[in-house]
Amino acid sequence: MSYVRGLFWTCLALVLWEFLARAVPNNVLIASPMAVAAYLQNNAALLGRASVETLINATWGFVYGNGAAVVLAAFIMVFPQSDRTLSALALLVFCIPLIASGPILRILFGPGAGPQIMLAALAVYYTTLLALLVGLRAVSQNWTDLMAIYGRGRMSTLIRVRARACLPYLFVGLQISAPAAFLGAMIGEFTGAERGLGVLTLRAMRGLETDATWTLACLAALIAMAGYGVIGWLGQRTVGYAPVILMSAPATRTNRTLWYRLWEVALISALVLILWQVSMDAFELNRFFAKRPWDVVLFLSEAENRTILLSALGETLSFAAPGYLAGLGLGAGLAVLLVLSPGLSRAAMPVAVALRAVPIITTAPLLVLAFGRGLVGTMVVVAVMIFFPTFVACQQGLRQTPGQIVDLFKVYDAGRARLLRAAQIPAMLPAFFASARMAVPAALLAVTTVEWLATGKGIGVLMAMTASTSDYNMLWSCVAILAIVAVAFYAAVAALERSVLRVYASEQVS
Amino acid sequence: MVGVDVRCSEIAKRFGTTEAVAPFSVSLVAGQTTALVGPSGCGKSTILRMIAGLEAPDSGNITLGSDTPKDVARRGGLAMAFQDPSLLPWRSVRANIALGAELARKLGADVDALIDLVGLKGFADHRPAELSGGMRQRAAIARSLISAPQVLLLDEPFGAVDAMTRRRLNVDLPPLWRSRGTTVVLVTHSVQEAILLSDRVLVLSPRPARLIADISVDLPSARDNSLVATDNFIAVSRAVFAALEEDA
Repeated sequence: MSYVRGLFWTCLALVLWEFLARAVPNNVLIASPMAVAAYLQNNAALLGRASVETLINATWGFVYGNGAAVVLAAFIMVFPQSDRTLSALALLVFCIPLIASGPILRILFGPGAGPQIMLAALAVYYTTLLALLVGLRAVSQNWTDLMAIYGRGRMSTLIRVRARACLPYLFVGLQISAPAAFLGAMIGEFTGAERGLGVLTLRAMRGLETDATWTLACLAALIAMAGYGVIGWLGQRTVGYAPVILMSAPATRTNRTLWYRLWEVALISALVLILWQVSMDAFELNRFFAKRPWDVVLFLSEAENRTILLSALGETLSFAAPGYLAGLGLGAGLAVLLVLSPGLSRAAMPVAVALRAVPIITTAPLLVLAFGRGLVGTMVVVAVMIFFPTFVACQQGLRQTPGQIVDLFKVYDAGRARLLRAAQIPAMLPAFFASARMAVPAALLAVTTVEWLATGKGIGVLMAMTASTSDYNMLWSCVAILAIVAVAFYAAVAALERSVLRVYASEQVS
Repeated sequence: MVGVDVRCSEIAKRFGTTEAVAPFSVSLVAGQTTALVGPSGCGKSTILRMIAGLEAPDSGNITLGSDTPKDVARRGGLAMAFQDPSLLPWRSVRANIALGAELARKLGADVDALIDLVGLKGFADHRPAELSGGMRQRAAIARSLISAPQVLLLDEPFGAVDAMTRRRLNVDLPPLWRSRGTTVVLVTHSVQEAILLSDRVLVLSPRPARLIADISVDLPSARDNSLVATDNFIAVSRAVFAALEEDA
């Protein structure tokens, strides 16, 4: 029955789309479904080859990235003392926008599929790691005690209890990974590959080919959604249910002093710099393109370079910030609004979940076509990128309101608004802040990608230009600055999150 | 395996600024069942967890026979049942019970016989989610018995079970560990249960736990619910309640 209904709505959407495209004569914004179908048919061989190329790269990245996440999570479980350092490093790498690591990987790997695969891996490992850590820790203390009672250690607990208990969480992570890996592979192709859907997208964008842009966006979205669907189906078959995972609040102990935290930050920063230096030296990478930390420091010590970089950064942030806030506000706002009409919410949820599977960046060219190459277009891409995960998370958060508390309000005949304000919105806050935190890197990725592809402004275009000017000092400096900015904003949101949750969800901030 | 003595000498434990257990000493006799009763939060469970080796005492020491709890754990001589059944949801009843034997490295244990004994015949292949609360608890207790431990620790194992099931389990299960000579330490909120199941009742003070009464239960070893109405039983309950109220 639901299939029939789904088919009906899909057909209706296609018809509406066709009408919309035809209503505007000579439009360069929207390609009609018929035009997309025609383009698909005329270029079937080319599109087929490109899809296979991107799919293969995405698959390898998926395997490597998730494999790395599994190994890292298992290591953290067996050696818990490594948790904070490893988690911080993993977060730092995750915070660097893919469009910034892309060119670096390109110059390190040279031509070929290396960067695409690596970027696809980078796009997936962090969310899977988070999901796995939540799953591995979602084990009742009685189970770990049970192992201890028989004299069994962490390894035994990992194998017999945690590994099995985290399977549903692993599948959630893998499912989110499928579109993300595809996105990573495409971004890798944006940064200078020879084949693949990303290359065709870039070409279509630059040539203002509406039909091609739409076809490519649709194709990429469909393949990513298919991956999402297949893994979801596999998960259903093997574990039977998908848990609700909030990317949980940072487990920072409240008794840690400011000095201790600063010391920790300094330690991890030093570790990163050493890793950077040592890895470049160990592989004897050429100093011409493989810059070391000191090169960046020297480069940025010149006022002229600093001015260029900082003004580009200012431009990027002024585009990213409104999009970030709009995406969060709309996501949370719509979730709250839909609580007031449960019927509408039931209809909207599957759509939102499905759209979460679309790698938004692959549709960025469409949004830029529609909203222009200025502030509005960029803002829309950033906002759309953040909107769906925030909306879904807030919906799930609102549903976490304990049933007994809802009943309590009903017993006193409290109104909907009061229930919302006093019980449901506070229950939503952990989910909201978890999304807000994860949205920081997402916003930076979206804004830099749009700058790289379309707008010709900001730090994204600065990095795109270095590829042709061979100004590798500038490229490495851009990446370093972006990483620092991403981590700083992430930490700021996390601090705000802690202070809010200390009041509203004190049991979560231990 | 035949039970061993449990000796706690001058054990103390604090959590942060809270003193959970004041220096506390007691010797439990091998093969006997000893109940710990006391007000909520008095540190009974902490004492049990220290005997299990799950918490290390801040001072003092615990020996089971001549070994530390960890040593006994390593050779599979310990078992514990919790207030919550804590079954692994992905394993069947049989596999959950067998886990106790697997972890204790006691191969060849007769799981099916024990399943019959705890009244779960016909449910061996069910998952925990398909069982009632009382059945899950019976499976959890069977898991703790399957390895024939030297020391069996029961932390309010019947707390979440309905009154009828609890009455039955109170009578059905003790013969299993009595016949093996297992040393059993039982934490419970129910004075009646403590007396019915034990050879000895230790009454503890409010936190930090101190021993305020050591009452031996002089009842026949074959016990059933009819004993509750006997003069002997009533006399022991009076003594236990008197000790509890004296210190409250």
